[in-house]
Amino acid sequence: MSAPGKTEPTEVIARARTGDTQAWGELYREFAPAIFRFCRRAMPTREDAEDATMEIFMKLRDKLIQYDQTRSFTAWLYKVAANHCWDMLRRKKARHDKDMDDVDDVALECPEPNQLEKLIEERTSEEVRKALDTLGMRARMALVMRYYSDMSYDEIADALGVRRQFVGVVLLRARHELRQAMGENSALAVGGTR
Amino acid sequence: MTEPDRNSNKQANETHVDEMTLLLYVERQLDREAAQGVSLHTQTCTRCLTLLRALDRESRLLTRSMLEQDEPLPARLAEFHEKVKRNMQWIWGVVFGLAVMGVYALYTGYVEPWERQFAEAGFGSTNLLSLVVFQGAFWKGWQSMFSLFEVLAVMCMAGFGLFAFRRYLRRGSALAVLFASFGLMMAVATPASATEFRKGDNVNVKKGEVIKGDIFLTGEHVRIDGDVEGDVFAFAHQVDVSGHINGDLICFAQAVRVNGVIDGNVRTGANNVTITGTVERNVMTWSETLNLDASGKIGRSLTAGGETLTLDGKIGRDFLGFADSTTISGLIGGSVRERGKSLSIVSGAEIDGKTAFKGQREPNVASDAKLASPLEFTREEHRRAERTGGYYLWQVIWAAAYVLFGLVLFSLMPKFSQEAAANTEHLGASAGLGILVGAGFPIGALLACITVVGLFVGISGFFLWYASLYFAQIIVGAAVGAWIMGRTDEFWPEIGRMIVGLLLLRVVMMVPYVGAWIKFVVVVWGIGAISLALYRRLQPTMAPNIPPAPMAPLGSPLPPNTTVGGI
Repeated sequence: MSAPGKTEPTEVIARARTGDTQAWGELYREFAPAIFRFCRRAMPTREDAEDATMEIFMKLRDKLIQYDQTRSFTAWLYKVAANHCWDMLRRKKARHDKDMDDVDDVALECPEPNQLEKLIEERTSEEVRKALDTLGMRARMALVMRYYSDMSYDEIADALGVRRQFVGVVLLRARHELRQAMGENSALAVGGTR
Repeated sequence: MTEPDRNSNKQANETHVDEMTLLLYVERQLDREAAQGVSLHTQTCTRCLTLLRALDRESRLLTRSMLEQDEPLPARLAEFHEKVKRNMQWIWGVVFGLAVMGVYALYTGYVEPWERQFAEAGFGSTNLLSLVVFQGAFWKGWQSMFSLFEVLAVMCMAGFGLFAFRRYLRRGSALAVLFASFGLMMAVATPASATEFRKGDNVNVKKGEVIKGDIFLTGEHVRIDGDVEGDVFAFAHQVDVSGHINGDLICFAQAVRVNGVIDGNVRTGANNVTITGTVERNVMTWSETLNLDASGKIGRSLTAGGETLTLDGKIGRDFLGFADSTTISGLIGGSVRERGKSLSIVSGAEIDGKTAFKGQREPNVASDAKLASPLEFTREEHRRAERTGGYYLWQVIWAAAYVLFGLVLFSLMPKFSQEAAANTEHLGASAGLGILVGAGFPIGALLACITVVGLFVGISGFFLWYASLYFAQIIVGAAVGAWIMGRTDEFWPEIGRMIVGLLLLRVVMMVPYVGAWIKFVVVVWGIGAISLALYRRLQPTMAPNIPPAPMAPLGSPLPPNTTVGGI
């Protein structure tokens, strides 16, 4: 995962790694909004997101020396954030998803394409976010990792502790949950034709 | 093809590609061969092409929805506060524990004795909480005067509340709750009865006229010859009360004459006050001269401050006076406590309680004056008395209270406090604004009160102004600390600098004569810096050359690779 189009502040990162508090402050100010938004999407409440953001940066500060400068800082940052959020959720025992063992046994009904297009067209960003809030923790976490921080399937698998082959299933199931939340009464909610 | 064989290649129109495969295709997770199969299929299969497009659009919608900045970064995350977070749990406990102990000590040692005195003077509050919260103090004249202790007490209570519910109440909502509580406190105190307003050159309540409820009177000359079944609020050049007031009389005037009967209390700020009638309860007045005529009667206590007090009439209970010259020739049913230059207890005077006078000259007591106990006289020795151990102890307590207040303010408003402290460097602007706001704000608030329409605004304004006197010293203290120890962006080092600067200022302010002027300069300077910060906050940010705000999501990821070639 990377942040294409963005030049990473390598000089600031290098200074922060040496313990320069000013550089760390700059780094924090630059990335804190994005990490907070990541946590806000992934965590169930705003308070949890605030706590998670703060803790992630505390962890980052300690781990900064371990960061491999040849790789993307943003990618590393989101990986740490994702791992931390998922750990927090697990600690809180707030996951409502089913166990991963049975995910590939459950068949997903294919939606009717035109209805799906219509549903997507009609929904606003705010409605999507509201629907996202209703999802199970794993489903939401997977969507956030993939579509907010653009993490790879390998990274998602690593963070969620599932096999890579299941990541697609997790994402598809999450999308189905999301569609159901977005259009409770729609035919799409229960799937269309196969 | 409905089977989940994601890499298979099927002929168009025979069967369709399943959703999972299409999603993996959109996500570029298929191998080359399988991706080519899907690509070929979707060129001839409208249904699968539509679903593919829908999935792609769904990906984009998800990304867009998540990346959208729907809420700003919370204030507490504006800066990195590692130590704050790590020490949060016990630091806040200790701080508020100390705060409670401090407030309790201040209350029992300082507030309570005064409160008792006030209670004797008719401001019968039973405790601090009821004084602040339950008595509708904002609407009851001078009782509404908040002291620092009350502010601290309220803040501590609010702090405890916020700490207890910190999981649920964060920055925005907590402040909203705080302000809503203050609003509610003010709102519940609104007088229940109908209120009448009259204004003009000559305003009067004619004889025989009965006013049901409170009345506000403003004008050159206010006369009350009739009956008022409620409180009277008067602002005039001259106020004459010949009629009957069922409630309190609260007035500001050049001259006040009470010839009639007032069942409640009298509270005035005036040049001359003359009482020839009857006040059934208490009188509190700050006036140049007070004359309690021989026919005048005060049912309970008299608290007066001014230049000349002449008490020929009868006072049912205690008398507390602060005046240059006081003459007592009437009857006082309780004790006398007087502080001033001179006290004369002349022939015919009778004091049934203890008499204590603290002043520069020994009091004159007529030989036939009746005193229940020998007069206690304390010669006032300026300056020396201030430098006792108790004085220094109080200075320490005050300094601690300031530090605590500063801690609360810097915690609640870290950015604003930083900005205000930084603004102290703009000496000219701060000093100018400080004089303007420091002097203008209370005048404006007073005008708002007098014009009645803005009573709520006026009293709230006074409260804010009063609090800003303390806040100003904290801000200047933070600036001084930063000059001495260097700047920092971190919370606790900043608090440390604030404490150092504040303590230094407190020490300097203790210097005789000069200290008071230094305090004045500090307050003006600080108020200016706060006003400047507030002013800048209220300005729209529109400069074209200003670099992007630090809140901008520079680290935000771009949308994922969801574009499908050729579609």
